[in-house]
Amino acid sequence: MSARHGQSSYRDRTKEFIDIVESLRRSIAPAANIVPYGNNRNDGSRREDLINKSEFNNRASKIGLAINQTSQKLSKLAKLAKRTSVFDDPTQEIQELTVVIKQEISALNTALLDLQVLRSSQNGEENNSRDTSTHSTTVVDVLKNRLMDTTKDFKDVLTMRTENMKIHENRRQLFSSNASKESTNPFVRQRPLAAKAAASESAPLPWANGSSSSSSQLVPWKQGEGESSPLLQQSQQQQQQQQQMVPLQDTYMQSRAEALHNVESTIHELNSIFTQLATMVSQQGEIAIRIDQNMEDTLANVEGAQSQLARYLNSISSNRWLMMKIFFVLIAFLMIFLFFVA
Amino acid sequence: MKITALLVLKCAPETSDPVILANASDVSHFGYFQRSSVKEFVVFVGRTVASRTPPSQRQSVQHEGCAPFLILDLPGLCPGFNFTRLQLFVHAYNRNGLCAVGFMDDHYPVRSAFSLLNQVLDEYQKSFGEAWRSAKEDSSQPWPYLTEALNKFQDPAEADKLLKIQRELDETKIILHKTIDSVLARGEKLDSLVEKSSDLSMASQMFYKQAKKTNSCCTIL
Repeated sequence: MSARHGQSSYRDRTKEFIDIVESLRRSIAPAANIVPYGNNRNDGSRREDLINKSEFNNRASKIGLAINQTSQKLSKLAKLAKRTSVFDDPTQEIQELTVVIKQEISALNTALLDLQVLRSSQNGEENNSRDTSTHSTTVVDVLKNRLMDTTKDFKDVLTMRTENMKIHENRRQLFSSNASKESTNPFVRQRPLAAKAAASESAPLPWANGSSSSSSQLVPWKQGEGESSPLLQQSQQQQQQQQQMVPLQDTYMQSRAEALHNVESTIHELNSIFTQLATMVSQQGEIAIRIDQNMEDTLANVEGAQSQLARYLNSISSNRWLMMKIFFVLIAFLMIFLFFVA
Repeated sequence: MKITALLVLKCAPETSDPVILANASDVSHFGYFQRSSVKEFVVFVGRTVASRTPPSQRQSVQHEGCAPFLILDLPGLCPGFNFTRLQLFVHAYNRNGLCAVGFMDDHYPVRSAFSLLNQVLDEYQKSFGEAWRSAKEDSSQPWPYLTEALNKFQDPAEADKLLKIQRELDETKIILHKTIDSVLARGEKLDSLVEKSSDLSMASQMFYKQAKKTNSCCTIL
């Protein structure tokens, strides 16, 4: 009768409880005069308790429902992410779904925190039995565990999606490596301009190479252009360089700043991962302690049983003389019987 | 992810040509006949770009793959087009007249390139002091640090600490994810162990009661 749920286990003994209540009620029914009186006195505070508890229960059930819905959406997202092929990529849907799920998870987080605050405020009031507080604690823990599982599944789905996208990118690059690398370039012709001397001294070089092998393709552009284009391009290129200068400085600084931000956020994520890890390990530590206690009980029981059995064995073996005497007496009686009958 | 060449030049004021102070290049991935021309190309482009980089500024220039070439002054040869497959980014950093130019391919991240140039300049100033200011012609002595730097920094992570840190952090994150998965599996196993141990304890209790019953019930016989 124990229900397994994530990392905490609890026994569902509601039925036994209801049976006991019924039987008690039936036994107390003759003394019914006293009971309603007492009930009336406590009714006000009890109803308040009921209201408080029912609000807690309402919230908890709402949160559980929301967690269910979120996990359903998550399974849909997982299916979508798994089946992406190279061509018909439902990126839009996946993005929307991801955003929606993220919002829901953060909303659930805040709701769960509110629930926790509510529970601690309720525990502050004195008219709560120990069982109520443990019950509410267990409920909150269960909900937290389920939310954690959902978040973990979400993260797995996102990792899978990024891996898929990387695979698609690789495949796409394989097929279209030529197309992607070509880019227009305003700076192609700027080099020959400044060093005409260098160009002239390398002039004999290109065509000599060109005649020797057709693959001397680096040199050609150096020769470049006739005399008309250089001047025009020199001024053009200088302008472009000027324009390019300031944005390049900015881009450089920006890229450094962005890299630093990335590093910082990664460190934050690592921090959260570590705290989660620590929480999980401490929870499992409790479980290990329970296992240890169970094993000690078992050991004690088995040792007791062994001593009992040893005693029994002793008594059996030590009683043999008595038993032999009893047998002898019995056989004697049998003989007498036989004598009398026969 | 390749560095083709690293140059250190002295950028005189606009009038004169920059003077090459150190040069290290790795042209092994070009064809045999292209190597010398690539070296010339490197020198030439380095000079040009350095002379056009204003002081304390950084600059990046891209040389694209296809570039036509025309032969004009050779009778009997009609102009033809040859296309190159060169993809080079030239990054230049001019700091108070001392210029560092790097030739990389397009995969090399720009930021790492500039941090590498920074390091090269620092190293040069440390080892040569101010002697370079008086250089008037290209020095042809190889500077071992530059060649070694060329080899070492083929992997951009070496040059750029940020990139290295980011990479290591990502690896750590992956490892931590795996750890959390294994911890969850451990949790499940621990749960099953708890179940089994509680069953065991129940069974041993029953065993004890049985033994006590058989012992206490029949004294003799």
